[in-house]
Amino acid sequence: MMISLTIDGKKVEVPNGTTVLRAAEKAGITIPTLCDHKHLHPYGSCRLCLVEVEGARTLQPSCTLPAANGMVVRTDTPAVREARKFVLTLLFSERNHFCMYCPVSGGDCELQNAAYQQDMTSWPLQPNWTPYPVDGSHQFIVLDHNRCILCRRCVRACAELVGNFTLGTQERGANSRIIADLDVPLGQSSCISCGTCVQVCPTGALIDRPSAYQGREKDVQRIKSTCVGCSVGCGIEMIVRDNRLLRIEGDWDAPVNGGVLCKVGRFEPLTVQEQRVLTPLVRRNGSLKVATWDEALEVVAGKLKNLAGKSGNGLAALASTRLPAEALFGFKQLFADHMGSDMVTSIEEGVPTALPGWVARKLGKPFEGNLAELRAADCVVAVGVDLIENHQVAGFLVKRALPMGTKLVVIDPFDNGLHDLAHYSLRPKRDSDLDLLIGLMEVVASLGLAKQQPEQVYDFAKYGPDVIAHKTGVSADLVHAAGQLIGSAQKPVFIYGKGITRGGFPTVLQALLDLARMVGALDDQHSSVISTKGQANSLAAYVYELDKTFEPKGRQAVYLALGDDFASQRLLERLEGVPFIAVQASYRSAATEMADVVLPTEIWAEQEGHYVNLEGRLQAAQRGLVAGHEVKSHVAILQALAQQLGFGLDGDWQAALSKRIPTNAII
Amino acid sequence: MAKPKVSTDWMAACAGCHMSLLDMDERIVQLAELVDIRATPVTDLKEPDKEGVDVGVLSGAVNLTTNEEVARRMRERCKILVALGDCAVFGGVIAMRNFFKLEDALKRAYVETESTDEEGKIPDDPEIGRPTKVRALKEVVKVDVSIPGCPPDADIIFYALAELAQGRIPEIKDDKLMWH
Repeated sequence: MMISLTIDGKKVEVPNGTTVLRAAEKAGITIPTLCDHKHLHPYGSCRLCLVEVEGARTLQPSCTLPAANGMVVRTDTPAVREARKFVLTLLFSERNHFCMYCPVSGGDCELQNAAYQQDMTSWPLQPNWTPYPVDGSHQFIVLDHNRCILCRRCVRACAELVGNFTLGTQERGANSRIIADLDVPLGQSSCISCGTCVQVCPTGALIDRPSAYQGREKDVQRIKSTCVGCSVGCGIEMIVRDNRLLRIEGDWDAPVNGGVLCKVGRFEPLTVQEQRVLTPLVRRNGSLKVATWDEALEVVAGKLKNLAGKSGNGLAALASTRLPAEALFGFKQLFADHMGSDMVTSIEEGVPTALPGWVARKLGKPFEGNLAELRAADCVVAVGVDLIENHQVAGFLVKRALPMGTKLVVIDPFDNGLHDLAHYSLRPKRDSDLDLLIGLMEVVASLGLAKQQPEQVYDFAKYGPDVIAHKTGVSADLVHAAGQLIGSAQKPVFIYGKGITRGGFPTVLQALLDLARMVGALDDQHSSVISTKGQANSLAAYVYELDKTFEPKGRQAVYLALGDDFASQRLLERLEGVPFIAVQASYRSAATEMADVVLPTEIWAEQEGHYVNLEGRLQAAQRGLVAGHEVKSHVAILQALAQQLGFGLDGDWQAALSKRIPTNAII
Repeated sequence: MAKPKVSTDWMAACAGCHMSLLDMDERIVQLAELVDIRATPVTDLKEPDKEGVDVGVLSGAVNLTTNEEVARRMRERCKILVALGDCAVFGGVIAMRNFFKLEDALKRAYVETESTDEEGKIPDDPEIGRPTKVRALKEVVKVDVSIPGCPPDADIIFYALAELAQGRIPEIKDDKLMWH
């Protein structure tokens, strides 16, 4: 239902339930705010948005006041202006707001900007000089209570957006103070370093330690891009000054993450300590020596050209799934198509995608849903996936839904942070998850809750409660309760990960899909089943068929396109004894130390390219930094090498994304 | 009509505000054509004329009993008093001292300094100013115009003084309003 109201003489129509503040925005009228944030629920703590409402006894906070039909609102009367100044007067007098030594002064501080808007040249009331503590215990975040206006944006973001509930408020009135957990230092709290609180803080109370005092908004450039920390593919903004990455923020407009990021995306890229590879290096007399590009490429091409067309004892090539799709495609073209190697794969070796990919090909179509499913879920079933440890932003979507009544069922034999949050935490014995899933199906079927038939035929008679309990070690009561919960959910969503894809039982995933079918989470039109995949371009590596197990034994040469990724210990061990190793890398690492030739390449922030996230969303990563003079892009290196070997790399990477049936339609 | 008289002084300040005043470069000549520059920290005359001036400009916080004297004298002798810079307007960096006990601050400065020997003592000569709580100028005397900034830009100072010289009260707003 639409309602109509008048704001400053303008008629505006809004849906019922809209606040006066949002209605004013719609009418193009700006009301100053501080505690309001478009991604958080209205709270009404700062009172800066007070407006006059005809017939109301006092001024009303527009951020929490629902617009009503026929309401007459004025936002710019002498009483309103006086009230705004008074609100700011009290805010400035309560704590110690000294702009001259605050990192957000000069355009970045919403409190300062609000005072400027009200033409405040001084404070009508001086502060009372009570020193407030500064919590510097956290690796990335400084909490300075002197600059806090108690707007609770941080508290709300921690709860509403991240579902972490670390931040809260202690005491009342002027003694109120933002605390972590039960008032422990932030660095020792349950904080997961996602940094969302810093991103929403309107003042300098929560500041990003690495970028503090490094540049104000007017000094920096913002470049929107895509995080390559994992397959979720969050939208980010790189904050760059003079070719230096100061900070990473979540992109509020990004459809995947809607502004939030995790530690991996926000802070960790700024902590990399490894030494960059800035020139090509060639091993001479046992040690890596600086070389020109021509020299280095000649050495690599000289070794590789005799291996063309050889299988078994020829060339093996391995690429990181952090590389952009363009690079993965060029890599595949060069080494598999042109060189004819039968050992061209990715660093993930298909572990996170092999099983879902197999199912997709078997079904003949994509079968997975996207993360937005989680936003509407009333029951989330997490199977073999630890969203606290990895793919954390997907975890935030689950965690933030729990207080709204969404139920969580966790199936994982191993320790998993989600177990603690689960309504039903099922820890089957190792390799008994198939039995457990069949047991859950049996419960759904026996309670008459099945909405569809499973695709496979299961002999439920053989899976009585006691049998399941015996096989899985999960009590019959718990299986029953969990089955009933999943079966009665209106909108169940299944999310699964490596825990299920590992172990090589295709039937486990098929059973999971059957359970999803029975409870209405999967049919021909729609899927509420999601897998987390692996790194940023996991799905692209799958469609390019870079997903076989890496076996370099007996190979005469290995080409490792590592980029800014690092090789695992297991991989390094397998590389031992390979006669010739070329590494395309950004950083010096154990892998480059094994290399005969190192070709310097761009890191994520320096490259341009595309990533396919776990939902099949094709997203662009933009260049935020310019790499060193001798550092080349992945594609440029592969092209130069191809040229040396007498090949051209001219295929269409985007068209090639449709060569194999993926788990999710790539759009 | 005689040119309006302007007098300035600093209290507990780093001199940055007056540096910024000088940073208006050749415009200071224009200003000198508009106003009669009287006592300033950089002229020979150190105190505002007893007969009074039109505009008094003070930078720095009120930190000592002597600052208080400077503030009161300027207020008595000028028609329009301008608080120049964050220290005069808010208390500024100087006011960080208010978070400590005065005694602790003095001890740290005169007794516990790394270079002080056992002779170190807090000066107590009755001739010198006594430290007080650090205050903004408006906490001591009435201020007519506040120009915040650390320091305020030379452009802003020039604008404000030029307005005052022509008998107008400057409007410190929009791009001229900067607290730093």
